[in-house]
Amino acid sequence: MKKFKRRLSLTLRGSQTIDESLSELAEQMTIEENSSKDNEPIVKNGRPPTSHSMHSFLHQYTGSFKKPPLRRPHSVIGGSLGSFMAMPRNGSRLDIVHENLKMGSDGESDQASGTSSDEVQSPTGVCLRNRIHRRISMEDLNKRLSLPADIRIPDGYLEKLQINSPPFDQPMSRRSRRASLSEIGFGKMETYIKLEKLGEGTYATVYKGRSKLTENLVALKEIRLEHEEGAPCTAIREVSLLKDLKHANIVTLHDIVHTDKSLTLVFEYLDKDLKQYMDDCGNIMSMHNVKLFLYQILRGLAYCHRRKVLHRDLKPQNLLINEKGELKLADFGLARAKSVPTKTYSNEVVTLWYRPPDVLLGSSEYSTQIDMWGVGCIFFEMASGRPLFPGSTVEDELHLIFRLLGTPSQETWPGVSSNDEFKNYNFPKYKPQPLINHAPRLDSEGIELITKFLQYESKKRVSAEEAMKHVYFRSLGPRIHALPESVSIFSLKEIQLQKDPGFRNSSYPETGHGKNRRQSMLF
Amino acid sequence: MVTPCSTSPVSPAARAGRRDDQNLRAPVKKSRRPRLRRKQPLQPLQPLNPCPLPGDSGVCDLFESPSSGSDGADSPAARGCSPLPGPAQRLVQLDLQTFRDYGQSCYAFRKARESHYHPRESLARQPQVTAESRCKLLSWLIPVHRQFGLSFESLCLTVNTLDRFLITTPVAADCFQLLGVTSLLIACKQVEVHPPLVKQLLALCCGAFSRQQLCNLECIVLHKLHFSLGAPTISFFLEHFTHARVEAGQAEVSEALEAQALARGVAELSLADYAFTSYTPSLLAVCCLALADRMLQLPRPMDLRLGGHPQAALQDCLGKLQLLVAINRTSLTHMLPLQICEKCSLSPSLK
Repeated sequence: MKKFKRRLSLTLRGSQTIDESLSELAEQMTIEENSSKDNEPIVKNGRPPTSHSMHSFLHQYTGSFKKPPLRRPHSVIGGSLGSFMAMPRNGSRLDIVHENLKMGSDGESDQASGTSSDEVQSPTGVCLRNRIHRRISMEDLNKRLSLPADIRIPDGYLEKLQINSPPFDQPMSRRSRRASLSEIGFGKMETYIKLEKLGEGTYATVYKGRSKLTENLVALKEIRLEHEEGAPCTAIREVSLLKDLKHANIVTLHDIVHTDKSLTLVFEYLDKDLKQYMDDCGNIMSMHNVKLFLYQILRGLAYCHRRKVLHRDLKPQNLLINEKGELKLADFGLARAKSVPTKTYSNEVVTLWYRPPDVLLGSSEYSTQIDMWGVGCIFFEMASGRPLFPGSTVEDELHLIFRLLGTPSQETWPGVSSNDEFKNYNFPKYKPQPLINHAPRLDSEGIELITKFLQYESKKRVSAEEAMKHVYFRSLGPRIHALPESVSIFSLKEIQLQKDPGFRNSSYPETGHGKNRRQSMLF
Repeated sequence: MVTPCSTSPVSPAARAGRRDDQNLRAPVKKSRRPRLRRKQPLQPLQPLNPCPLPGDSGVCDLFESPSSGSDGADSPAARGCSPLPGPAQRLVQLDLQTFRDYGQSCYAFRKARESHYHPRESLARQPQVTAESRCKLLSWLIPVHRQFGLSFESLCLTVNTLDRFLITTPVAADCFQLLGVTSLLIACKQVEVHPPLVKQLLALCCGAFSRQQLCNLECIVLHKLHFSLGAPTISFFLEHFTHARVEAGQAEVSEALEAQALARGVAELSLADYAFTSYTPSLLAVCCLALADRMLQLPRPMDLRLGGHPQAALQDCLGKLQLLVAINRTSLTHMLPLQICEKCSLSPSLK
């Protein structure tokens, strides 16, 4: 118990007794006694605390997940704390936990020694909010807390908050800047005119729009926030990621308009996506432009990967292109700041055609190289005019891959022979075919590079960073590697888009292909 | 529309669907090492549900493709030692290749961002929320996060979101718990595959709050923080420094992973203590690792200067951490994999 108390408010003065430290801490915080008392918890059974002391809190708290000692005097809390800290344990370890429990951290005997493991209960049913002693409400009023118990957002609250909220303390983020921008119209829906709807999905509707501030075209992605689970994960990820991603080859998030019921992301507007671009040039792109586009994909991806952000959904529909030939990665709804590699990503992330075989075979833990297979597929598609592996099911997709690149064996892909799914499919033993037969317009350097993307073993795939240095790009000159992140490659005079041989002057916005591009903006 | 193949008849993971099926999921290839990640939330805790924390050493199985099984052998910690199917088994392997490719640039990026995201004196102007109530809330949130099988990264993000919101807004004592679960939800939505359901979070608070309140508070938090949520975390820096020392040949893989697991336990203790909010995550990570090295008596302990922090701050932080560990030995031993407890100097205190 004492230990737990110490942990609760370590004041780091070893010489003092705990209680002195505690009271000193309380003084430091200059908190009225009443208010701190009112914060005492109630345990699930609704029994109010017997006293307002830490003891009672801990007593009930630990009691809530350890049934038998529930109403024990608080002498055994130290032991209970152990089980509380050690909760997520496997069976064999729990025995040991109980042995420890019996000892009691303070040498106090633990009467709960008979507790069996299945009596250990969830620690979670705790109400830290006191609904019985509501004296606090008066103090609330006096202090004019901005976040009182009943949180209702009145109409227009957030808009007002955006403009009026007085800085409570030093700004954490770019508060002050945002505030000044809001005066000229940032963060306000009135600033943008909706022109036409581009598409609609489960979570979002995308409009083409225009900013009154700049007269520029924008894409307005309107995300509905009223869901069972609150704000959609995809929206939270996309916004928090894109706020940190500023690069010439990543679509720019200009503004966020947050109202009570929706969140509108204001993106720069680009005319078409790569799919549409390829369609418009009759699937015969200039090989020079293929190189420029591939380089820009890699440049944007390397930037993401340096920040531990995986795109995870690369496909031509998510690569937006403007008339200058600038290519930008878009749709980061599936991307996520990847710093928790142990967590498996959902198996259904990458669009099937661009999905790497390890993921198709059930691997759910992947790294930046998950994006690199897709780059290879897109590279091939640009060079040959047709998708590389247009499979309709997982099996079909794998079949197409193996037919071209050869059915993997233990030698070509160590570990594959013990993969149950791979064994179950029982694919025929295909021999690898030369890629050049399928993409005759690619030069040998291009073939060598594409081979580096299309590696079965994800860790053998070339990284975006490395791929940019490949000899295939040597013809673009040395200066392209030294550009600052925010500068377009077309700022170099030696870098110019060529006319695509198959280009037809189509009125792309109204073609059937437009649909694909619009959908890609959705979740 | 992104995923045409969710109906795939063959992928067990695809069939597994949402969390309820997680435990029933047919073993996907890598389950040679049993890796149970998500308990069914709210069910009573049972020993049969080994939760990956706190040995959930994030670095290890990143990148483990079907083919990479053979490489796992370089970690004796994983292969050799334990008969326990426990957290320690997660100490499998480091992803040194990705580290070589992107480790340093990623580190530089996060390190540069951390002061921007660092909440200082988050309680200084709170009329009702005290260091004590913050500790109480976090001492509750930590087991909650563990019961859901959430990552340490999520926990770090939760605490960061909470503290940064406290700077912007005075919070009444009686909705502090709501702020806690809301912060947890927002953090999980960023990094977890299956964030907890609102319903579950509300149940944890014993129905003290409504769904509408939680959703509204989420909205307010997102708004006040301007969606700047991706703070660099202790979790990230622990992984980074662990990779860095292995890559530089300063530690064996097994040593480094054990030190990381121990450091993570220490870091978790520090999260609940307001006294440690004055340190940046990278500084805390360095100090936690250094302390772990001492406790494990590693032959070549980590260089404190690795993160370029001022010497005085390092010593100050290290001293406080030592004290924190000294007074929390018991809790710490229960948080750690057995094999680590046995190796470090914590064990004698049990007697």
